[in-house]
Amino acid sequence: MAGKRGDDMRDAGSFDEFYRSTSRRMLRYGYAVAGNYTEAQDLVQEAYARAWRQWGRMTAHPAPEAWLRLVVARLATDRRRRLRGWHAALTRSGPPEVVPPPSEDGVLLLDALRRLPAAQRQALALHYLFDMSVEEIARETEVPTGTVKSWLSRGRARLAALLPGVSDAELEANDVS
Amino acid sequence: MSRDLSDFYRSLTGDADARAVVAPEALRERADRRARVRATGIVLAAALLVAGVGTGTGLVLTGQREAVTPPAGTPTPVVTAPSPSPSATPGTPSPARTTPSRSPAAPPSSAPPPARTPTSIPDRAFFTQPLATTAWPPVANDDGRALPDLCGADLDDRVVQRRGRALFYHLTPNTPEGTVPYGAYRHTITIHRPGRADDWMADLRRAVRDCPEQEVADGRTSRQRLLAGGDFGDEAVLVEMREPAWAGGEPVEGETIRLIRAIRVGDVVTVLWEMGWEGTSSDRRQVDDYSRRAVRAVSDWLD
Repeated sequence: MAGKRGDDMRDAGSFDEFYRSTSRRMLRYGYAVAGNYTEAQDLVQEAYARAWRQWGRMTAHPAPEAWLRLVVARLATDRRRRLRGWHAALTRSGPPEVVPPPSEDGVLLLDALRRLPAAQRQALALHYLFDMSVEEIARETEVPTGTVKSWLSRGRARLAALLPGVSDAELEANDVS
Repeated sequence: MSRDLSDFYRSLTGDADARAVVAPEALRERADRRARVRATGIVLAAALLVAGVGTGTGLVLTGQREAVTPPAGTPTPVVTAPSPSPSATPGTPSPARTTPSRSPAAPPSSAPPPARTPTSIPDRAFFTQPLATTAWPPVANDDGRALPDLCGADLDDRVVQRRGRALFYHLTPNTPEGTVPYGAYRHTITIHRPGRADDWMADLRRAVRDCPEQEVADGRTSRQRLLAGGDFGDEAVLVEMREPAWAGGEPVEGETIRLIRAIRVGDVVTVLWEMGWEGTSSDRRQVDDYSRRAVRAVSDWLD
């Protein structure tokens, strides 16, 4: 019954509040990192499920959202194969979701992102979706700032080559460091 | 017209926001249910592993394969031939720990201390997994097979003693809590009758060579081959098994690769049978790492 006692210490209300206030952002992030919405949904829900399982301790975490992003990124890079069961369990439980068509730019970006290494996708997503600086990204990904600069620079250059109308020179001018 | 990358990311954000989000109550309920299923699965997984599952496609919890029982007539794997009493003086080091029975060229010409065959396997003969990559504690079980089936090959199981356990590991250190293991091992240590361990190794090599391909389930074929065993112990055999990948009960792209390494140290053979987890493939570096640890523990015990 030790596990039961641990479960009882979790506050469902605070988890639900946290989930409601962050899950949208997390899905955008998962979408940009994984390059596929269904997969992003799997990754994000798996990350929140893990957060819930240890919510008693997570409430004391200084940056639970950053923790979730790390889990999502890690799952996206090397554990996606394990999530098929989770997705199946979710999709079995209701009618198929009505999905609006994605925007043309969104499709173009996803297609381009799929050609980038995972680390570059992660760094770009943190910068463009969370407005994080190089230093903040370096802290979150636990790599030197020089590495983050390199990821961002190479990622942008590659996207500029793949996306219509995006100038590499302008990217440099708008660079955020 | 020049465009900014931010515009593209804004479009992507809009697409993501147009989708429904699972309600937190439903997510919590499913997470808890899955945790309960997983807890049951751990017990089941351990039971399957220690029973010696299948022929090397790894741990599959979907019931695609039945556990393989030992062939009829196979003697019980534990203690069937008591060892002769050790002839070495207690405390005398044994530089050559074996007395090969079928290899006349192998015995040393000088007169080393007679080989000493241990009679029982202590706990310390098993290596300790690195804490940072240990998924769950080892599960001890002395029954079951040391190897996957190899076209029904009947390797000599008349041994002095065999002990085994199941190991569960992560590939990368400090994996978030709750992450399922990357893979699992069936790890055994066997004391062979004096001078028979090298015969067993030779039989294993022959069994792999004689079994390049076998059907492991309906429509599923496994291919086996020997790889260079590596510099482990007195000799080592590394077996690679490949079969088409499966996930969720269906074939998927790619192959699943299993590695099994048997290492002989004197009259003792330790086998690391990497069984994967939900279709993962063995990682060579990880197998080499556990092999080194296994040899060190056995050598320390025998010394």
